[in-house]
Amino acid sequence: MINTKMIARIMSSLFFIETGFLFLCSLLAIYYNEPDIPAFLISTAITAGAGGIVSLFAKNAEKKLNRRDGYVVVSFAWIFFSLFGMLPFYLSGYVPSITDAFFETMSGFTTTGASILDNIESLPHGLLFWRSMTQWIGGLGIIFFTIAVLPIFGMGGVQLFAAEATGPTHDKVHPRIGITAKWIWSIYLGLTLAEVVLLLLGGMNVFDSVCHSLTTAATGGYSTKQNSIAAFHSPYLEYVITLFMFLGGINFTLLYLLFLKGNFKRLFQDTEFHWYLGTMGFFTAFIAVTLFLNGSSGLEESFRKAIFQVVSIQTTTGFSSSDYMTWPPVLWVLVCIIMYFGACAGSTTGGMKCIRIAIMSRVMKNEFKHIIHPNAVLPVRINRQVISPTTKSAILAFTFLYIAIVFISWLILMTLGVGFEEAYSVAISSLGNVGPGIGECGPSHSWSGLPDAAKWLSALLMLIGRLELFTVLILFTPDFWKKH
Amino acid sequence: MKIIIAGAGAVGTHLAKLLSDEKQDIILMDENEEKLSKLDSNFDLMTVNASPTSISGLKNAGVAGADLFIGVMPEESRNMTACMLATNMGAKKTVARIDNYEYLLPKHKEFFAQLGVHSLIYPEMLAAKDIVDAVKMSWIRQWWEFCGGALVLIGTKMRETAEILNVPLHELGGRNIPFHIVAIKRGNETIIPRGDDVIKLHDIVYFTTTRKYIPYIRKISGKETYPDVRNVMIMGGSRIAVRTTQYVPDYMQVKIIENDINRCNRLTELVDDKIMIINGDGRDMDLLIEEGIRNTEAFVALTDNSETNILACLAAKRMGVTKTVAEVENIDYISMAESLDIGTVINKKKIAASHIYQMMLDADVSNVKCLTFSNADVAEFIVKDGSRITKCAVKDAGLPKGATIGGLIRNGEGILVTGNTIIHPNDHVVVFCLGMMIKRIEKFFN
Repeated sequence: MINTKMIARIMSSLFFIETGFLFLCSLLAIYYNEPDIPAFLISTAITAGAGGIVSLFAKNAEKKLNRRDGYVVVSFAWIFFSLFGMLPFYLSGYVPSITDAFFETMSGFTTTGASILDNIESLPHGLLFWRSMTQWIGGLGIIFFTIAVLPIFGMGGVQLFAAEATGPTHDKVHPRIGITAKWIWSIYLGLTLAEVVLLLLGGMNVFDSVCHSLTTAATGGYSTKQNSIAAFHSPYLEYVITLFMFLGGINFTLLYLLFLKGNFKRLFQDTEFHWYLGTMGFFTAFIAVTLFLNGSSGLEESFRKAIFQVVSIQTTTGFSSSDYMTWPPVLWVLVCIIMYFGACAGSTTGGMKCIRIAIMSRVMKNEFKHIIHPNAVLPVRINRQVISPTTKSAILAFTFLYIAIVFISWLILMTLGVGFEEAYSVAISSLGNVGPGIGECGPSHSWSGLPDAAKWLSALLMLIGRLELFTVLILFTPDFWKKH
Repeated sequence: MKIIIAGAGAVGTHLAKLLSDEKQDIILMDENEEKLSKLDSNFDLMTVNASPTSISGLKNAGVAGADLFIGVMPEESRNMTACMLATNMGAKKTVARIDNYEYLLPKHKEFFAQLGVHSLIYPEMLAAKDIVDAVKMSWIRQWWEFCGGALVLIGTKMRETAEILNVPLHELGGRNIPFHIVAIKRGNETIIPRGDDVIKLHDIVYFTTTRKYIPYIRKISGKETYPDVRNVMIMGGSRIAVRTTQYVPDYMQVKIIENDINRCNRLTELVDDKIMIINGDGRDMDLLIEEGIRNTEAFVALTDNSETNILACLAAKRMGVTKTVAEVENIDYISMAESLDIGTVINKKKIAASHIYQMMLDADVSNVKCLTFSNADVAEFIVKDGSRITKCAVKDAGLPKGATIGGLIRNGEGILVTGNTIIHPNDHVVVFCLGMMIKRIEKFFN
């Protein structure tokens, strides 16, 4: 059964970590001397208090964590992080409704990037920074961050990693999970810092470049401007951000091999990376040509708009450099298709991930072959390794569940009074952690117009999507809670 | 320490779990993905799905920076090949599991080292030696010699006839008693005893002593009525059985009962003439009686099936056999088998794992044995000049709780240790500790 004490122990240390981040934002608020200071200080105190109270329940915990405990810890960690994380928004009065504050925070931690704010520029620096920070923490995962900085989990770390990590396969760069986490986070930090420098060179101010770097590396999509990247009117900044969104969408294990081991071959031989590049190239070319032929912009501008938007949507970041709702409608459909794809497993992105698309397309190809050669034994190979039937069926189940959830949520959202295309795009965008939708929920609008119930559903979808469906949904199955 | 384990079989996985708990960097290699997938998501180690004899596979696993490479695949020749490749690719030390008595001969040691195989491990032979030790001293459950027998460790179960029951240890005779009680196994719990602990009925007590006081221990444990073993019956003609017959002293008569006639024929080629081979089922009571089980003092069950071994030993015990030995390969069954009163439990995995574990200890440990019954480890250290333990009397050295010094060997002579003993450099010290605490204790002796 569930080891409540050990879970409490882990939860309390997670709360203390969040306390640390909130305190950092308090300092920033004090530095800018803006009206959000009390909100941050109270939130810090509440979170620290919660950590203290929970740690009381953790006395004499048996230091063992089984598979079930792992799923409980991971799901609840994300929910509680969002609950405490929304306090600054709510207490400062800038987001007066609890629904909106929770939605905004969950959208941050899951790196979705959908916002209910209609006037982002009016927020004080502290809150804007906290908004970006939530995405940065959530980018590689809350638990994964904790594994990197605290050695507290011991053996349990592996179970938690397995429950939180995305993608059908889990690569490690080092035999010990703690050290793996440290390396991956160093790469992440390195990407963020490199982007800060490049953005500064492009003339962005320090605060904006830090905030945008945090949300780009995390492929989150929160901007400090209501018009997102379009507000800067700078092709250079758009290309820089495109590059870092692209890097954030690559499997971090491969980035580790590339940057720290100088191993180019491994990256360019990776099947998933081929699919990532291939799909991205196709979508970019399609959109660029359509825009160019449509005559609304020149060749370079068409290409820049196309590649920025494709990378932004495929890596599930959700920045926008132009409103794609003003493009020809055929491209809206394309945007919806890209939202399904996502980038690579083991990156900071959402969606279904290229690896799953790659495996499924080969399974499909094999089915055709099988009709012609009924006795043929047809393996599915990824990176020269044969994929086991268990993995294949797990991926098929994942895909079916993914599509089923989109359609069921679509139905529920429309019952709640959301429009046809808005409901569809909210469902798929939330589940894929993308950010913008289409129609009234498009890049130039916020999601504040959605009914409250729709916002809660959307927040739930974000969590389900971020933890790759099964980790959250398993908690809703009666079998999980049975004692035997 | 970076350790690559090739082969995710029973020994490999047991070792990987053991060492990953010890915070070592473990990389486990196997060709079979299914064997690896469960370990990967449950233990803190890295798995590499590649053949350990493939050069690119070894490169992927990072063999160039490995401190230790352990080949524990089922096939001897593959282990040897993998070790040779690993050494040539940069592994510092290699260990191969083998299945051939010849290779272990001392004259071949250098040859293998030249090839790149630094150590060899033969679990069946280690198990056979343990079995023979257990049978020779039938009243003893565990027997271990330090420094060629200058000091011995004896584990024996307390029956009603024992003289030392229910007396606090400090009242047993103070400083002059010729033994030291280093561990007590009570139920599933292992206790490293202190002065006010008492010995209870059915405890297994581990003594350290010198050779001449063994009869005294036998007396206080109330085991003088135990007969010496002259006749041994082995059920199952496995490889361990063959090795066992090789080490059995001449005065013992051995009968091997094997069910498979082909194996029986093969056994006749493998063992000496004086060993009698009987074709039949070891679970058949009539057959056992016919073959004289009532006059047999020791029954050793070595079939592939742990359950069969346990039950057969229980049946033999009913027939009046005083000493039973069962091979139990299922680790979870060991404590159960022990509580069912089976004299000695043999587990190949544990024997092999503790043997390899010893190889990776940094200190000059020449002998580490995992006491199979209990959680305790026994280690032998050579004390270095200026180490912490030499600076004051043992009782003030601050050894962690759950560790005790069983005795020391100075100039080839065994000496028992009390709280006031002062340890000199170059003494061989025998330490007992719970779990895998050896790493922590090592610091005291270096």
